[in-house]
Amino acid sequence: MSTSSTHLSAKADTPLQTILVVEDEVLIRLVIAEYLRECGYRVHEAVSAEEAILILQAPEVSIDIVFSDVEMQGAMDGFGLARWIRANMPDTQVILTSGADRSADIAGTLCEAGPLMKKPYHTQEVVDRIKQLKATARRF
Amino acid sequence: MSAASVTVLPRRTPPTILVVEGDIRIRYRVSDELRAWGFKVLEAGSAPEALTVLDAVPVDLLVLALDLPGDGSGWDVVRHIRERPAPPKLIVTSGETDPPDTPEPFVRKPYQAVEVAALAAHSLNWSRPPQA
Repeated sequence: MSTSSTHLSAKADTPLQTILVVEDEVLIRLVIAEYLRECGYRVHEAVSAEEAILILQAPEVSIDIVFSDVEMQGAMDGFGLARWIRANMPDTQVILTSGADRSADIAGTLCEAGPLMKKPYHTQEVVDRIKQLKATARRF
Repeated sequence: MSAASVTVLPRRTPPTILVVEGDIRIRYRVSDELRAWGFKVLEAGSAPEALTVLDAVPVDLLVLALDLPGDGSGWDVVRHIRERPAPPKLIVTSGETDPPDTPEPFVRKPYQAVEVAALAAHSLNWSRPPQA
């Protein structure tokens, strides 16, 4: 299998997975969300952990992966959101991002994908990270 | 050539719509419906977010809730838009019973997302892509 066969179609007819992007910096959120859509994912957006929970609880919405900033305004940060997801939706995978190096060890126990992604990040790194999660899920 | 013989063809390039709505349950539904109609959709949950997007990204139309949470209201966004030399089109929404004093199309909450999408398509001269 060549590497080109793993490349995502720019406009796939069927979304690969549904991703929820949780980020309170609007331009970052828009760039990441739009890039993921162009890669064929169905993407929902939330400006806070509170909004993310409302979407996750919506009966007509099925989120496969939550991509969330750690430091966000509001009563709950990304870690709190990850804990809520682990307790209520254990099948939903979580990717956390942060600029703080020391958050990496703490997030390791919450993020099934492994080490924390650090800001700033390139959009291609986001897609590669999601591919890794999918590859991990298929082994079991 | 008379004006009656001019044919206006639908747009081929997807317009960009900014949905400004503080209620995430409304925002994601109307955004999803607009994307299903082929629009490129950006989302903002507050007036400051909307203003940040408007200053950074070209937008063809706003679906703007006048009743926004936090700092600023939909009217702050309306004023910002009207100061622009080439303002984007506007559809305003609100839960108020009486329509606001504005010439733009008004949709009262609660509304069906398809109603807003049809209104946006008409405003932007956009034809919905054929559904599979």
